[in-house]
Amino acid sequence: MPSLTSPRRRRPLRCALAVATALGLGLAAARTAAAQAQAVRLTVRLADDASASGSRAPIVRSENLLADGRWLTALRSGLPVRLHYRVEVWRSRGGWFDAFERQADWDVVLRHEPLLDQYTVLTLVGGRAQERRYATIDALSTALAFSYQVSVRPAAAGRYYYAASLEISTLSDSDLDELQRFLEGDLDEVARGKEGVGDAVGRGATRFLLRLAGLPSLRLEVRSTTFDVR
Amino acid sequence: MRLLVGGLLLVLALPPRLRGQDSVIVIDPDLPPGDSTVVRAGPPPDVVAELLAFYNDSTTTRMQGDVSFPAGSVFAGRLALFRGALRLAGRVRGDVVVINATLYLLPGADVEGDVLVVGGRLIRSPEARHVGRERVVWDAAPVLRSDQGTLVLRERRRPLGELAEARTSFQTGRVRTTLLLATGGTYNRVEGLPIVFGPTFELRPSRRSVARLDLRGLLRTAGEGSRLGDFGFGARAELRFPAGGVAGRVYSEVAPFEDQPLSASENGWSAFLLQRDYRDYFERRGGGGAAWVQPTRSLRVELSIRRDHERSVRATDPWSLLRNSDRWRRNPLSDDGHFFTTGAQVDLDTRNDREQPSTGWMLRARYEHSTSDDVAPLALPEVVRPPLPTGGGYAFDRLTLDLRRYSRLTPGLRVNARLRADGWIGGDRLPVQRRVSLGGPDLMPGYGFRAFTCAPRGFQDPSEPALCDRSIVAQVEVRTRLGLNLGYRMRERETGGAGRFIGLEEADLVFLGDAGKAWLAGDGPGQVPVNRIPSLREWKVDVGVGLDAGAIGAYLAKSLSEGEPVRFLVRLQRRF
Repeated sequence: MPSLTSPRRRRPLRCALAVATALGLGLAAARTAAAQAQAVRLTVRLADDASASGSRAPIVRSENLLADGRWLTALRSGLPVRLHYRVEVWRSRGGWFDAFERQADWDVVLRHEPLLDQYTVLTLVGGRAQERRYATIDALSTALAFSYQVSVRPAAAGRYYYAASLEISTLSDSDLDELQRFLEGDLDEVARGKEGVGDAVGRGATRFLLRLAGLPSLRLEVRSTTFDVR
Repeated sequence: MRLLVGGLLLVLALPPRLRGQDSVIVIDPDLPPGDSTVVRAGPPPDVVAELLAFYNDSTTTRMQGDVSFPAGSVFAGRLALFRGALRLAGRVRGDVVVINATLYLLPGADVEGDVLVVGGRLIRSPEARHVGRERVVWDAAPVLRSDQGTLVLRERRRPLGELAEARTSFQTGRVRTTLLLATGGTYNRVEGLPIVFGPTFELRPSRRSVARLDLRGLLRTAGEGSRLGDFGFGARAELRFPAGGVAGRVYSEVAPFEDQPLSASENGWSAFLLQRDYRDYFERRGGGGAAWVQPTRSLRVELSIRRDHERSVRATDPWSLLRNSDRWRRNPLSDDGHFFTTGAQVDLDTRNDREQPSTGWMLRARYEHSTSDDVAPLALPEVVRPPLPTGGGYAFDRLTLDLRRYSRLTPGLRVNARLRADGWIGGDRLPVQRRVSLGGPDLMPGYGFRAFTCAPRGFQDPSEPALCDRSIVAQVEVRTRLGLNLGYRMRERETGGAGRFIGLEEADLVFLGDAGKAWLAGDGPGQVPVNRIPSLREWKVDVGVGLDAGAIGAYLAKSLSEGEPVRFLVRLQRRF
């Protein structure tokens, strides 16, 4: 079927379409790049000071946590935010499954106190807890950008790497209570085989609704470069 | 710069001037656990005292909120700002204190005097000039502005763990009292929704010990129609040390026969929404005591005794959201009587997370020896249970074992396994309320509810009681993480960026397999000799696949050894 439009007239149209497409793609790429620059990021690198055997400790850091407005919104809505960090030591075994060696976990729980307009940062490591307060977002952001050097460097000879994960989630107060009890090594509830008072229906409901209502949760995983221990 | 923290070393131990963006916190997982006391860091007391004195001094110019001194402006005197931001681009001749706020020294700022920033940051342009001492403490100052315009110390806020919706605490002398009003137990067809209320008294005789007394009243919202009263109670006294403790309690409560095929919370939801209560219940009233040692954080050994009166309860007709006009399944009768029970329990829990473990062991083993002199046994078919001695001398032994292993093959691939055994091990045969069954979402999801009750052919009981002497189940599952993005991501109103995600972003893909058997022990037809476990070829097997998003999971499971249909089930927590 003959075309009603001459080739001459079609060429400028094609050019315009191509330019528009390029512009669109460019804008989309720019927006994606901007979004990535603002996205929460988890990094794990090897400490510079290797031991004589070549073993190196991992240094974990999260970035741009508060640049992602979801977490700040959750905090200001009165929901605590839990940052659960985990570093795992893996031994690389070539063609076979890598071997998990050990791990370290720690938690950072953030809360906003609306009456004081302050932010509470509760750090929990192995049953130890420390609470700090920050009055401004600036100070809180800086505190959250600290690096963590984890004392899990392997001693036996082999090729190793670290896998780090950061799980960010919103919590209810009862979750916080449970979290704190567990981190303190309280086996009582487990021993009794019972859930806490009010947990049976209420806590399940809270979690279910928190998750499905679109309140934020995020999991990030990264892996370090490998290193050899002699 | 590196900061060593004893398990939890935080930056503020160092002089403020040394702090910077490259601060490193050292996490040492090998340090012994702390005493669970929350260390509350904050500005040093002398700094707080200094800023209070400075702010409240009548010669100080006090400000609040966001304040700017433009270029060319000149201020002479003592300057204090509370909450907000102070932006200086002009000249200031005098000391400056900024409390729970940020100080900006903009280009052109010229400050001659000491600067103290507490609870905020000092952001300085290279073109700004400052002559004088400079101190910055990031921790918020624990101060409030009073009605008179001065600053006062703020009382410490309640610990996070004590926050709960219907709970309030207050301190009287050395005793801390907490009043509680909450739901207790789970929604069920005997009690409806139990509501507990009452005080807890807590005394800390030393830093490492806690004495606690819980007094609980219990109101049953659906007690009417049964001979169970509308009220129950519980009182528990406990003295706890880091390495052990003792406790005593008296109670009047409704307890489940078995703790499967659903967890308490899931069973509550099932009953509340769908009028399907998968547990059976009996009432027990009595008292007991326990002593335990906890030599390490993960190991606990407990010895206990109790004497209680156990008796049957009837299902009532609590409301349910769906199928409300249906009839609830009848609650089975129990063997009524007074039981004296001694028990020993070992708990080992090295899991890295109680909710979503990825590595570690969990072992719970419990042995119980029970006796009764006045049991009134139900009449059961002799193939299920020989007649029990009445009038004294009834005794039985029971063992419960739950062993779980969580492990990872690669960072993204996990394998979990569980072995669970429960049942009679010696003495007279178990009362009805201690008997077991298999089939249902938790242990054998490929089979229907109570597919294996050991009820003999022709035995009819609409309550479908569990009648087996013993059960054993082995479960294994393989998990890997999947990005799902099932849902819709909203846009942030203000920034236009990515906002909340309504739905499920990611989930575990789970492949599961279960094998188990529930049986009657004995030498009769269809029974398994008491001294052995059924051979593997007699076990029932199912396999399945599912998606587990943490708070909710959906599975398809199919039995291999029976002609059962493919079953779809939803779980509100991990399988194990």
